[in-house]
Amino acid sequence: MASLLQPDRVVYLVRGEKRIRAPLSQLYFCRYCSELRSLECVSHEVDSHYCPSCLENMPSAEAKLKKNRCANCFDCPCCMHTLSTRATNIPAPLPDDPTKTAMKKAYYLACGFCRWTSRDVGMADKSVASGGWQEPENPHTQRINKLVEYYQQLAHREKQERDRKKLARRRQCMPLAFSQHTIHVVEKYGLGTRLQRQRSGAPISSLAGLSLKEGEDQKEITIEPAQALEEVEPLPEDCYTRPISLPEVTTLRQRLLQPDFQPAGASQLHPRHKHLLMKRSLRCRKCEHNLSKPEFNPTSIKFKIQLVAESQVLLTLTNPVENITHVSLAACEEDDPDDINSTAKVIVPSKELVLAGKDAAAEYDELAEPQDFQDDPDVVAFRKSNKIGFFIKVIPQKEEDADVTVSFKIRHDFRNLAAPVRPSEEGADNPTEAIWLTHHVELRLGPLAP
Amino acid sequence: TTMADKQNAQKSVKIAAGAVVCVESEIRGDVTIGPRTVVHPKARIIAEAGPIVIGEGNLIEEQALIINGYPENITPDSEVEPKTMTIGINNVFEVGCVSQALKIGDNNVIESKADVGRNVILTSGCIIGAFCQVNTCEVIPENTVIYGSGCMRRVQTERPQPQTLQLDFLMKILPNYHHLKKTVKAASKPVFN
Repeated sequence: MASLLQPDRVVYLVRGEKRIRAPLSQLYFCRYCSELRSLECVSHEVDSHYCPSCLENMPSAEAKLKKNRCANCFDCPCCMHTLSTRATNIPAPLPDDPTKTAMKKAYYLACGFCRWTSRDVGMADKSVASGGWQEPENPHTQRINKLVEYYQQLAHREKQERDRKKLARRRQCMPLAFSQHTIHVVEKYGLGTRLQRQRSGAPISSLAGLSLKEGEDQKEITIEPAQALEEVEPLPEDCYTRPISLPEVTTLRQRLLQPDFQPAGASQLHPRHKHLLMKRSLRCRKCEHNLSKPEFNPTSIKFKIQLVAESQVLLTLTNPVENITHVSLAACEEDDPDDINSTAKVIVPSKELVLAGKDAAAEYDELAEPQDFQDDPDVVAFRKSNKIGFFIKVIPQKEEDADVTVSFKIRHDFRNLAAPVRPSEEGADNPTEAIWLTHHVELRLGPLAP
Repeated sequence: TTMADKQNAQKSVKIAAGAVVCVESEIRGDVTIGPRTVVHPKARIIAEAGPIVIGEGNLIEEQALIINGYPENITPDSEVEPKTMTIGINNVFEVGCVSQALKIGDNNVIESKADVGRNVILTSGCIIGAFCQVNTCEVIPENTVIYGSGCMRRVQTERPQPQTLQLDFLMKILPNYHHLKKTVKAASKPVFN
């Protein structure tokens, strides 16, 4: 199956905002617009946050507070693997009687991959298994918070002035509609994180709660500008002559994973809390329907809604839907603007091919009647349940072609089962209307034999 | 015949009392195994180009290969001085690893599917991570950990603990399920005619 091991062999053209060629396994099919969609023509929305190691769900507000990090799990600062808690027994004096010693459990963090332990950086063993480990404090936190407050206030003041100016110009409109109109303008300095809608003017009433309340008295926050120092600490004298001990120097990656401290020495590499991952849902930009919506539970990999192209659109030679499908192929015309990658001419069968529907029970049904399609042996090589193999003739155009590519159009009928079925009076079968879809397909056939 | 007998006696496998060596393991050539060492079934210890001396308390797991073989550019026919491969105490050779290092110290761990070349000398406390291939010409300093696909290195502060618990458990359980090779006293008596 080309789709599993060599997905790039067969690509389909998606006519979205950008023209993207991608294999069917990476595409979605919007059945309300009846069009293929790729990852670039859908909008991505955050569904839920979860920790990849303890699989704990976290609501978005809490995630924002904790800077998208898990409370329980740690990452090894050396190799970024997940740290595990290990216990040892150490003799410790009893609190009542200092002369006697009893075995007490002490916990430390250790990495199973690179054998880093929390004792390497001098972190003392804790007496509780979880919750005892603290991340080191950033010495600049206070200054940063003050700066953020000042700029938030500044942004709010600018927005108010903008509102006031617009209100002065057009007096007819309601003031309420106005502040909502300006909200869609990108908020400076991130007063509140919110998805930016594609359409402007959509009322986002909940955003109003995030900015400073109107009546609150706005105290003036002043900040001191940063002071530039003239004298910089000189480099140590043996900077050029001291031999480097490589195990003690951190790599760039280890250093930059902790942008607050960026320690140069391995003995200052403290473990950080693990980053959360998120589940995303995809939405078609034209019709605003959901294309893919995962389950809320982090342990579940299933989807509530999953409209992937493979289950809706014709695969090469395989019919994924349950009704009989008619396929006709057409070679691309001379001046086809989509035909940019093909390096060979192709002659496709001119007759229409008929594919039987997918029938999951057919495998087990021994008494099933053989399918009665009259196949032209020049066109059809084999037929098996809902698959068909057919011949195409390829005429390579170049002498030594490393990757022969052909493109053609495939046109098939599609029944939209999602559309509401109008009830008919006699109760007879009301077949849904078929629409014809055309896809531009490119096949990479590989190198020419010498 | 004395010389021939002596040579044959030297080429045999000498397993000290207290070692647990399963019958399904393949041991060829002049190999000496110390007490409290456990050799799992399907492990292979092959002394082709010289004898192998394994110390106490080692753990050699399934499909591990310890081979004292001829270097690649030397044919077996030409006269080469046989070098002895020495392995110290409390080492662990995990499943599927290949070790050709001529000198291994104590408390080292060679993790699964690792490959250690002939010119590497492991001191003590070294850990060669899973699937790491080390075939440089060097002495690995003490307490070095080699890990990752790029064979990154770092030095750990504590050496790996000897697997005493695991060894005790195996020495109790393995004889229940496998036949063991016969143990011989380590000091071989000279053969008199």
